[in-house]
Amino acid sequence: MAQDSVLSDELLHHLMAVGHVDVLVGVPTLNNAGTIRLVVKAVHQAFARYFPRDRTVLINSDGGSNDGTPNLVRNASADDTETLTVSHSLRTVHRISTPYHGVPGKGNALRQIMTAAELTQARAVAVLNADVSSITPEGIASLVRPVRDQQYDYVAPVYRRHPLEGPLVTQLIRPLMRAAYGWQIREPLAPEFGCSNRFVTHCLEQDVWDSELGRVGIDLWVTGEALAGSFRCCQTGVSPHPATSSRTPFGELFGQIVSTAFACLERHATYWIGRNGSESLPLTTPLPSSSVEAPATDGSRLTEAFARDLQNLQSVLEPILSQDTLTSLTRLAEKQGSHIRYHDDLWVATVYEFLLAYQRGVMRREHIVQALAPLYLGRTGSFLRQYSSAPEAEVDEALESLSREFERLKPDLIQHWHRSPR
Amino acid sequence: MAQMIANAIRQAGTNFVESLALFLPRVVTTLAIIIVGWLIAMLIRTLVRGLAGWLRINVAAERFGVAPLLRTADLPPADALLGAIVFWLVWLGFLLSGIDVLGFTSLQGLLASFWAFVPRLVLGLAIFVIGFVVANFAWRATLLAAVNARVPSPRLLSGAVRWLVLILTGAMALEQIAVARSVVLTAFAIAFGALSLAVAIAFGIGGGGIAKRILEHQFPEQQQSSADEISHL
Amino acid sequence: MSSPLPLSVPAPQPLWYKDAVIYQLHVKTFADSNGDGIGDFKGLSSKLDYLTDLGVSCLWLLPMYPSPFRDDGYDIADYYSIHPSYGTLDDFREFLDAAHARRLRVVTELMLNHTSDQHAWFKEARSSRDNPRRDWYVWSDTDDRYSGVRIIFVDIERSNWAWDPESKAYYWHRFFSHQPDLNYDNPAVRDEMWNVMKFWLGLGVDGFRVDAVPYLIERENTTCEGLPETHDVIKFLRTQLDAHFPDRMLLAEANQPELVRSYFGDGDEFHMAFHFPLMTRMFMAVRLEDRKPLVEVIERTPEIPETCQWGIFLRNHDELTLEMVTDVERAYMIDEYAHDPVARIYLGIRRRLAPLLDGDRRRIELMNGMLMSMPGSPIIYYGDEIGMGDNIYLGDRNGVRTPMQWSGGWNAGFSTTDPERLAQPVISNPLFGYQAVNVESQKRSEHSLLNWMRRLIAVRKSSPVFSRGSTTFLKPANHRVLAYLRTLDKEQVLCVYNLSSSAQAVELDLQSLAGALPIEMFGRSLFPRIGELSYMLTLGPYAFFWFKLRRF
Repeated sequence: MAQDSVLSDELLHHLMAVGHVDVLVGVPTLNNAGTIRLVVKAVHQAFARYFPRDRTVLINSDGGSNDGTPNLVRNASADDTETLTVSHSLRTVHRISTPYHGVPGKGNALRQIMTAAELTQARAVAVLNADVSSITPEGIASLVRPVRDQQYDYVAPVYRRHPLEGPLVTQLIRPLMRAAYGWQIREPLAPEFGCSNRFVTHCLEQDVWDSELGRVGIDLWVTGEALAGSFRCCQTGVSPHPATSSRTPFGELFGQIVSTAFACLERHATYWIGRNGSESLPLTTPLPSSSVEAPATDGSRLTEAFARDLQNLQSVLEPILSQDTLTSLTRLAEKQGSHIRYHDDLWVATVYEFLLAYQRGVMRREHIVQALAPLYLGRTGSFLRQYSSAPEAEVDEALESLSREFERLKPDLIQHWHRSPR
Repeated sequence: MAQMIANAIRQAGTNFVESLALFLPRVVTTLAIIIVGWLIAMLIRTLVRGLAGWLRINVAAERFGVAPLLRTADLPPADALLGAIVFWLVWLGFLLSGIDVLGFTSLQGLLASFWAFVPRLVLGLAIFVIGFVVANFAWRATLLAAVNARVPSPRLLSGAVRWLVLILTGAMALEQIAVARSVVLTAFAIAFGALSLAVAIAFGIGGGGIAKRILEHQFPEQQQSSADEISHL
Repeated sequence: MSSPLPLSVPAPQPLWYKDAVIYQLHVKTFADSNGDGIGDFKGLSSKLDYLTDLGVSCLWLLPMYPSPFRDDGYDIADYYSIHPSYGTLDDFREFLDAAHARRLRVVTELMLNHTSDQHAWFKEARSSRDNPRRDWYVWSDTDDRYSGVRIIFVDIERSNWAWDPESKAYYWHRFFSHQPDLNYDNPAVRDEMWNVMKFWLGLGVDGFRVDAVPYLIERENTTCEGLPETHDVIKFLRTQLDAHFPDRMLLAEANQPELVRSYFGDGDEFHMAFHFPLMTRMFMAVRLEDRKPLVEVIERTPEIPETCQWGIFLRNHDELTLEMVTDVERAYMIDEYAHDPVARIYLGIRRRLAPLLDGDRRRIELMNGMLMSMPGSPIIYYGDEIGMGDNIYLGDRNGVRTPMQWSGGWNAGFSTTDPERLAQPVISNPLFGYQAVNVESQKRSEHSLLNWMRRLIAVRKSSPVFSRGSTTFLKPANHRVLAYLRTLDKEQVLCVYNLSSSAQAVELDLQSLAGALPIEMFGRSLFPRIGELSYMLTLGPYAFFWFKLRRF
């Protein structure tokens, strides 16, 4: 049976007409009618203002929207501002909207965008998030310029956020990725990035696209691939943070992200096992120094059920955690109950042991990840309660010491990693 | 008269010796079969253990929760156990074949029924093992889902699920082995029915609130759990 | 080779300029007959066969009048005579007759706006405030009149007023300070200029290229460019022309894209005007490998009266002007075409065609192919038909006005004098110099640029659709391909150009032409008949096709 090609005839037609480009911006969409026009406008303004002499193209990879998103992209020139920008550009402006085959998911969209980038020999590629209405031409340019002018292979965005925001990133994913890969990447889950043609070719050769990882965890995988390969990576200040309206409930979200992270770490083990400590990534555009508000919640409700959850899950946690860790946790839960103080070192030990259990496959992997969720909530609640009224600098310092704790305990992780039977 | 008795005794002795002479080779054959069978069974056991190692049965046993159970029951690890079962079955087969050679009519049907029994036994064991694995899986999945969904008494719920599955598959296995069919059938029906009734009563009378909460969790727009209050990304 | 026909003036043919292929040359650097290092009319006459052979139908001569030569002859000291270095008035008459005998028209320069400060009129005007000629120029006691008017030669001049120590007053000059502007508010000036025109037209000159048209009249609080009074002057001159010399032509040099249309009037001002923006955009499109600038400029070109015609060109004696483009466009053109800052002058680039295109034969052919098929009368700058080079280290714009390269021998065959005595040095670098690029070698090589240009001009002249037809752009998805249809009554020609340095495939929507058979015009090969589906063409790097569409 012939496989559905990533490259549909329609897309091929468009690419033939476009020819070679210098800058390609890809925007995956699925029902983004609310925000897509602003995104397209920002892209064209970025092209006109910052890359007036470059051959450019905007590619919208659509997963089958039923709210007219593709038409909005194609007809964006109806906007007056748009016409002005377009008419003053030196070159023909190209804009393609094309559907992709397969299950709607960012992985398939990204694959199509990357294929197009490879075929058009785009020197610099930027992938944007269509869910966001706050994108600016400057932000887009800052993702493209390091690749185009300074030969970087991968550009990750950095957002101006309050350190209490996004605990899944700050408590778990960021320090874990930092300690493992040895690079101080701030936003490993960023839905937008810039990259070079070399990186695109490399990604297309990997066998991730048809897997579960390709379906739900592509953002993190891309970051992992960039850090683990011999690619020059940097970060750039993009403002403001894309406040996505996440429609996924917590359980599903946690499962997707954590299993992606663990799977990535497993994939790249040969790379990060030899690395110690962590290096910072160059910041090519500084962040604007605006102040951000602390989030409203103090997370006190998160730890209410911790002791109970721990008790309920004892038999599941036994094969996963070490005796010491489990005992410490149980004792902590008994003594402190809903006012638990989940220390850094205990949390790091928890995470690493879960990672090891995941790698060994002591039970079905989804179950391992699900079992981590209540512990994560306990840790988050504990952290938020402790720092909810602290000044920003103090919270930053706390997060920094958490990262260092991850780095400090990494040798233990490595030691046990090697010993696991395979 | 004495001559007749002596002749009879001589005749009986001769008959006895004749029968013995006829019988002895059979005994030797039987012994030979039993010994060869033992050797073959040992060989097959080693092969099975090797195969189990290659298929990583031990790891699978760990994953599906079978291995802890074996350890609790003081049984050898999964591959050894498998080897042992295969060894005994093979050897038993040879044993019965050997006995069959002896020609005891009362034992004639034994071999046939043995060979008829073995497949059913294997199938029954397989059903039980599969059922066990499924029960374990369902137990853990239910437990984690219930905990993360803030459903009260998650252990009770998951335990109930596990036992339900175990009882069901146990009954199926026993029926397959065809041991005490009617007894098993009746006992199962009673137990299953009682359990279901109990759960229904508990749910209906005392569990209205829980049902409501579980249903509400299915439609998250109506109610956010505390975890959904903050933005995690 | 044609033998000279009996002396005759060309048969009256109104609108001849619409079908003309014009050849712009500088007598000074074309051919020297008397060995003084300066070209002359006798020399030019001897080269007329070459020009007929090339296929051009009209010659445009740079100024040939007596002049102190501080602006290469555009500073005129006597309107009624020929510069002695170029010969005598009789030499000119002979040349004119010989040209006409070969059915070549001749267009000369008419400098309306200013004279040299060595002209007798100015000498008189400045001698005293009461001199009757005083009012022939524009005087002021202060230099703050007409303030804010832009300076044209920004690199050299600092003001549009110059102080005359003799009469102790300022005089107005839009160009160099030694070129005082004439005062067209004075009817005497107007009448005298008509006399000048009458003189030359009487000799048989077929038309004038009028330099610096927009600047004739000044008014306070204006840009002093293209004012209504200026148009009145033109209308006056044109009326006189039509009354006394029908069948002659006036060509305007007005680099003002927004206002150029006004110089055609209602068909009562200029017959022709240069299309400056097109020239810049052609270079831009080829560099960008994108047809966008070209299509835009033609679509934005205003409609002109039936009797009028655009003069289109790739290069001329001046710099490639970037005055009237946006900042982004100017920066792009400078970076792409004039890396060397010495190549830049005023607001433009002082280079010839071949060096601008890196001597790339294919690109030279592409640009000429576009020129010969776009709406307007094409003008070829002397030397560009063989791909001559330039010398940016010569002052002003002299680098593109070097002697014509006739042969690989002594002084490129231009003059028999000592090389040190040449008015302008011959280009001698190994790439574009006379040893590599000259008429003699190219005549002998069947596939030289010269012979290719001859064939190109011949094909163009084979159909009136190029000079008189309408232009419709096809806009295929591939932006690197320029395609348009020229139509005149039943005749149709499809022109397709690959602006890119790599081979291209293009699908053209030719449904409206379904049933036509394209015949490629240079080789006369048949191409597949046009059907209902899109027509696929493939073009090599910088290649182009002209298809005559026939129906059977």
